[in-house]
Amino acid sequence: MNTHKVSDTVEEFHRNNGFSDLVIDGSNSAVHRKRETSRKEAEDKSHLPELEAAYAKILRQLGEDTDREGLLRTPLRAAKAIQFLTKGYHETIDDILNNAIFDEDHDEMVIVKDIDMFSLCEHHMVPFFGKVHIGYIPNKKVVGLSKLARIVEIYSRRLQVQERLTKQIAVGIAEALQPKGVAVVIEAAHMCMVMRGVQKMNSRTVTSAMLGIYLEDPKTREEFLTLSQRA
Amino acid sequence: MDRTEPEVMEHAKQTQYTSADKKDAGDGGGGGGSVFNGHFDGMVKRPAGGTGHGSDPPAPGAESGSHRPDAAAAADSVMETWKEERTRSVEDNEMNLPSLAAAYTTILRGLGEDPQRQGLLKTPWRAATAMQFFTKGYQEKIIDVLNDAIFDEDHDELVIVKDIDMFSMCEHHLVPIFGRVHIGYLPNKRVLGLSKLARIVEIYSRRLQVQERLTKQIAVAITEALQPTGVGVVIEATHMCMVMRGVQKMNSKTVTSTMLGVFREDPKTRDEFLTLIRC
Repeated sequence: MNTHKVSDTVEEFHRNNGFSDLVIDGSNSAVHRKRETSRKEAEDKSHLPELEAAYAKILRQLGEDTDREGLLRTPLRAAKAIQFLTKGYHETIDDILNNAIFDEDHDEMVIVKDIDMFSLCEHHMVPFFGKVHIGYIPNKKVVGLSKLARIVEIYSRRLQVQERLTKQIAVGIAEALQPKGVAVVIEAAHMCMVMRGVQKMNSRTVTSAMLGIYLEDPKTREEFLTLSQRA
Repeated sequence: MDRTEPEVMEHAKQTQYTSADKKDAGDGGGGGGSVFNGHFDGMVKRPAGGTGHGSDPPAPGAESGSHRPDAAAAADSVMETWKEERTRSVEDNEMNLPSLAAAYTTILRGLGEDPQRQGLLKTPWRAATAMQFFTKGYQEKIIDVLNDAIFDEDHDELVIVKDIDMFSMCEHHLVPIFGRVHIGYLPNKRVLGLSKLARIVEIYSRRLQVQERLTKQIAVAITEALQPTGVGVVIEATHMCMVMRGVQKMNSKTVTSTMLGVFREDPKTRDEFLTLIRC
């Protein structure tokens, strides 16, 4: 029988600062930027010409005719599209949480499941998409439910690796709320495997991150997995 | 078969008799000529006489008759896009790879990423090769792929190959499109190896495409190769440009279809085709 009290777990959680080992030592890339950088419209637009030129070059190199009607504005559209698909770089948790953290005397599991997720594979720059299931056990603080989905958006709209994405979402929620535990499961289809390479249409990749009480207590984990997998 | 067979044959014969064109079709059951005459409207190698279809009396299919002037223009543009041989070679691919990779490096920097971090070190090359793969349809020609897999069979019932997975790239946003293609055709003494239908889909889908054009190109290619009595192509696809960005409608699907020949004129045939691809 587990005599470990819940409060002990939390203390240990904080003491160990359990996520420090997850911070990847980095250069100054956008992924690892800790300070806030808000992408203003102007900054976006300032990069547009070079992105456009790059896409125009790509079209030509692929053997297409850049003067045909369908492709006339494609470099611009593609540049804006890729900026949208990587907008997560310039958003931070603080921005989007919007102070939607509330004090509630609730310590049962909260699950938000089937959150559609779209990301870009950082190795091939080809989409991967799927569903995210998030569960957490609040420690007197609950968060607005849509904020969980917004946290997913921040981290998924980047050039990602599914493992890192899962961990970042879990860590992001943990840092914002200091809950008793966080669990994140992602099931995704990778177009880089489906459209090219091995070309396995039906393959899915599943990754999970369990923090705090979800890691330690198998029953809690089981409850989360059962509830989130239920159709 | 539920189709009223004698009626259809009758119809085909009628079309042939009213055609003034000198087509090669000598056999009775409606050779290639009868099919093209009223309904494909020139989506075929024009006969040397260059009579086109302007001088023909209107074919029995009333709607195609009224279509004719517009169809002629439309047919021309389809012919052009279909015939356009933007072929590139494997050597071209290798030659272009470095500058493609350089373009991707620029994109990575322009997005605020660090191309030197471990996960992104070889990404420009991988992305460039991937993009070349997604547009490999430009390297292939129908002739090569058909591999002479056209056989003479005395078969004139529907042949359907359905649920062919299709992956393409949206030419407007350079983002994937994927879905399923269903192809049906009514052979006219000539049948095609079944995998060749899927290969035709591959050639045209692995390009920068618009779903409408893709559907038409597949139908026209099969027509050209086989001169069947009719061809039907239905594509049901999801466009990532709508799902991942823009309106962001997750469950939307786009369905396009092209019906040529007897599929267009005879509702029963079309019905049979559409029913069989559902189940």
